Amino acid sequence: MTARWTVSIDAGGTFTDAIARSTEGDTRVAKVASTPHDPAQGLQRAIEALAAEGLPLSDVALLCHGTTVATNAILTDGLADVALVTTLGFRDVMGYRQSSRPDVYSLTPRRPRDLVDRRARIEVDERIGGRGEVVVALTDDEIARVVDEVVALAPSAVAVSLLFSYLEDEHERRLGAALRAALPDTPISVSSEIVREFREYPRTATTVLNAALRPVVGAYLGRAEAAVVEAGLDAPFVVMQSNGGSVPAERAERQSHQLVLSGPAGGVAGLVHLAEVHGIDNLISLDMGGTSTDVCLVRDGRAPFAREQRLQDHTLLAPTIDIHTIGAGGGSIAWLDPTGRLRVGPHSARAVPGPASYGRGGVEPTITDAHVVLGTLGGAELAGGLTLDRDAAVRAMARVGEPLGLSPEETAEAILAIGLAHMVQAVRKVSVERGLDPKEFSLVPFGGAGPLHAGLLLRHLGLRSVIVPRQPGLFSADGLLVAGLRFDDSRTVLRTLEPHAVADLAEWYESAEAIGRAQLELDGVPGDAITAQASADCRYHGQGYELTIPIEEADVTGLADVAERFHAAHGELYGHASRGEAIELVTVRMAVTGAYARPSRSAADSGDAVDSRIGRREVRIPAEGMREIDVIDRALLRAGDRVDGPAIIAQMDSTTFLLGRQHAIVADGGDLIVMEDDR
Amino acid sequence: MTLTDQPAVTAAIDPVTFEVAAAGLQSAAEEMGSVLKRSSYSPIIRDMDDFSCAIFTADGHLVAQADYIPAQLGAMSLVVQAVLARWNGRIQPGDVYICNHPYLGAMHLPDINIVAPVFEGSELIAWTGTAAHHIDVGGVNPGSEGPELQDLFGEGLVLPPVRLSIAGEENDDVIALLTENIRDPRSTISDLRAQRAACHLGSDRVLELAERYGVEVLSQIMARMLDSVERGVRTALDDLPDGTGSAEGFLDDDGRGGRPTRIHVAVTKRGDRLHIDLSGSDPQTAGAMNVPWASARAGIVYAVRAVVAPDMGANDGLLRAVDIVAPDGIVLNPIAPAAVSIRHNTCQRFADTLIRALTDLWPSKAVGSSTVSFFCFNVGSTDPRTGRPAVMADVVGGGTGASSLGDGLDGVDTYMSNVGVMPAEVVETNYAVRVRRTEFVPGSQGRGQFNGGMGLRREYEILDHAQRVTFYAEQTHPDFRPRGAAGGEDGKSTRITFVDEQGRETAAPSKASTTLPAGTIVRVETAGGGGYGNPALRSEDDAAADLADGRLEARP
Repeated sequence: MTARWTVSIDAGGTFTDAIARSTEGDTRVAKVASTPHDPAQGLQRAIEALAAEGLPLSDVALLCHGTTVATNAILTDGLADVALVTTLGFRDVMGYRQSSRPDVYSLTPRRPRDLVDRRARIEVDERIGGRGEVVVALTDDEIARVVDEVVALAPSAVAVSLLFSYLEDEHERRLGAALRAALPDTPISVSSEIVREFREYPRTATTVLNAALRPVVGAYLGRAEAAVVEAGLDAPFVVMQSNGGSVPAERAERQSHQLVLSGPAGGVAGLVHLAEVHGIDNLISLDMGGTSTDVCLVRDGRAPFAREQRLQDHTLLAPTIDIHTIGAGGGSIAWLDPTGRLRVGPHSARAVPGPASYGRGGVEPTITDAHVVLGTLGGAELAGGLTLDRDAAVRAMARVGEPLGLSPEETAEAILAIGLAHMVQAVRKVSVERGLDPKEFSLVPFGGAGPLHAGLLLRHLGLRSVIVPRQPGLFSADGLLVAGLRFDDSRTVLRTLEPHAVADLAEWYESAEAIGRAQLELDGVPGDAITAQASADCRYHGQGYELTIPIEEADVTGLADVAERFHAAHGELYGHASRGEAIELVTVRMAVTGAYARPSRSAADSGDAVDSRIGRREVRIPAEGMREIDVIDRALLRAGDRVDGPAIIAQMDSTTFLLGRQHAIVADGGDLIVMEDDR
Repeated sequence: MTLTDQPAVTAAIDPVTFEVAAAGLQSAAEEMGSVLKRSSYSPIIRDMDDFSCAIFTADGHLVAQADYIPAQLGAMSLVVQAVLARWNGRIQPGDVYICNHPYLGAMHLPDINIVAPVFEGSELIAWTGTAAHHIDVGGVNPGSEGPELQDLFGEGLVLPPVRLSIAGEENDDVIALLTENIRDPRSTISDLRAQRAACHLGSDRVLELAERYGVEVLSQIMARMLDSVERGVRTALDDLPDGTGSAEGFLDDDGRGGRPTRIHVAVTKRGDRLHIDLSGSDPQTAGAMNVPWASARAGIVYAVRAVVAPDMGANDGLLRAVDIVAPDGIVLNPIAPAAVSIRHNTCQRFADTLIRALTDLWPSKAVGSSTVSFFCFNVGSTDPRTGRPAVMADVVGGGTGASSLGDGLDGVDTYMSNVGVMPAEVVETNYAVRVRRTEFVPGSQGRGQFNGGMGLRREYEILDHAQRVTFYAEQTHPDFRPRGAAGGEDGKSTRITFVDEQGRETAAPSKASTTLPAGTIVRVETAGGGGYGNPALRSEDDAAADLADGRLEARP
């Protein structure tokens, strides 16, 4: 039997990383420059690059993809213009939101950005009441009037969110159908199909965000699928979601709001896997690419989840991994503010033109250029066929250094120090600000630029250790493979948890699981690799927030068990339980996940020891000065090898920099464990 | 990030340890807040965030707070100090205290404080506390508020600091007393237990820090947190010019339809100290508009932080830089048992007046005034799912003032308060009341180079049966509308209207306790914020967007 391959491609702001693993343990990797104006091109080039490395495209069984298209649309104001259709008297819910202020002590607050302009919020004369009853009937004439008003606005997408539609969706369905008939080529997002939960603001905001993303995500996925075919690949194509599982590309557009953390989710999945491999419970990741850095804290081996997420000024009701992002990456540009202070980021040289030292027309000094001037980067070829131009980097330093009277080397040190302060602050944000001491955590730096700062962060944060993954530049892409497919379904049922009232729910669970399994098998996952997790969101009658209670067996007995588990969970989480109180079952949920055949992590080469030192280089080390230090080829390191700092460990996709009085040990799987000598 | 800004107080504690431990206390307060919010029953806590959490030193000074409601946060220390005064020497591990006494730090009766001592062995090392607005604590009116009330005894059940738990066991006597004196004991007592659980969680976090750093170091760190805020405020004050300023503001009446009540503030700044004199304010009112001292203190903490050092953490260190003159018997320092249930509306007016006095002293910090209407709507209703009595309490915000940096915010709670509006879906699920609309009021905002925020229009319909309603608002008098700044126009004042079943509209008073038949609609239109700068200077783009988005129509 021929080997089957799985390909994963993570398109970041600067580079598009690709990795292919076979059932026989073979690996192919590629890294190409991202193409932000049309990320699908980068996807195509990445596949072509893998083919050039010897990947047999006809033997590929699955393509996994992480994309930042949705995130970037939100961060760069690239969302589509949306018309909102909502109940008469409630169009401004998208303006007053929850009616509270983000910063109570500020008398000069910044106005939050509107997702939908007031002029594009259309009210419908209809009303469902609090028991699901029709209070004001929706007439066909009214539907016609509303459709005409929407058509006249010619929006790129439409969101429909009416009051109490989570109880009774008839009005939403009729409006949705009429709008779809009138605007067959425009995405129409209907709240009861997207997020069937109560409270009008978060539900409406999530529906609007879904609508605003669909044209952007849909156009991209269309181009991406064409590009994949163009590259010669014919395999199921899945996209990573914010919930840590993938969805087939053809279904991803409808739930575009689930892609907002698609990019970072791969890295987090990889992080959880790494925690398992090393038997370490407490890790903090620092995923540093060219444009931004994502930080995530894994405690007790689990990734943090949030059911409600804030993105910029927007609220999103969807299960998402909980990460912290800062606008500082290798490509972050250094500049002088009007008072003459040296600043770094958040503007980035991105992929085009890139840092000055890439020789692609960039002239502004970046963090990467600072490393080139200091000597931590240089000599060897960088990924993507780039040769670093140190002279260009030196010239870039002068742009900010000359007005300050600093030499290029002093300027580079200053830029690195400021960039490092941003990274330190980001790590503190997820640890110290939650009362957790970074000393009890190990840092996992990845992305192209993460490991360059391994030694510096170890020292500045007093961390337990730093674990540099075997292929830091491909860590997020590799994580996509670990994650598996995920199929979610849910329904709001709002009823008292009593045996006779929930008997029919066993049927719902059964059918939801069957649909999920059938879907994943259709997606190519073997039946024995599929697992289903039923759960129920419960609360005491009268409470406003629910706890999600996992259900072992979703039959009548299993449901009866939910009450006891809910009391216990409530007691554990909140310190009190009310066993006499009635429990309300709000939402039933089914998550069906399908693991891919997980390619095993190949062990580090264990052949005879060879001299891994490939040279010496002059490096200006912060707080130490100019030193000539070893340059190690990571490809020549064997499990158990020790590298003493100061040293540079170079590899295809990244460079690891150790300070003096630090050392690295090569673990069995090839990861580097970096520690201070005196710990 | 530089660590050199930290004051070098205690040589034994390095700056990194200080920073990590201080952040640990801060995050403990925030974690208490999220646990309380998620496990509470009442919409006013879980959906509207009308609660606060904080950590205190062993002698009752607030060192770390979750930034929820400044009006509560600025007063909670006084409750801990009242507990210490009453129970000193008899406080034991596992005790939990409950207090809603307005003259002992709780501000008005619905704000029930629960505070718990933190013991390391037998040593009292800190306190944790929560304050939450409960919908009803008995008295004449559902919701325990009434502008017309004249003393505490009509307002509700008064709890001096007594023990909710004794050595870890719930005190049944207090539960029994509460059960027979309040309208919705089931939800209220569950929420009190949620508050107590939040205190215990905070205690666990403080103990973890004590274990990591040692009790002695932790108490030094707490002392230093107070010092560093004091130092920050003093430095900020020192950097501002010396001088004097003053302002006056008015309540529509005295709570009982009498003449307007005057608030007067005079401020003097010399070097690194601020002197605030409230003695020009009117005597205490006949109705329930009085601001107990704890609330006035909270108003000062809020306004000084907002004007002088908004980015700095808040704690009791701030007040060490401020001298205050407030004679007994004035509306901002009444004598017990004067009624106080509507004190928050006066507090908002006081915050606005104090901010205007401070910006009279420092004109470069001027901003348009925010609405201080604080419309509250309480209904003695029923739960449509169970038919059981249920008391609803809603708050409707308005526009905030514009500043030199931009337009004000539309339809939000302002100044010392940050209560969210109750979602319409929550109202109708829990009460026999329907929200018919919640929308902006175009034209309510003061125009300027930057416009104030728009007020909100909300309509409530009484369903099913006649219901007892108490509502109140300030700023309905056109003379007392939100002021513009630097040439910006004033916002419009608030108005309230009754619409009967036949659709006939009549103007409603600003404050009332009355029974309304099913089918009656109460409509409120709240004030918009004051503008900033000459309207002629508004950019063409902003002016065009105002028109396209229908923000400017004059209301009928």
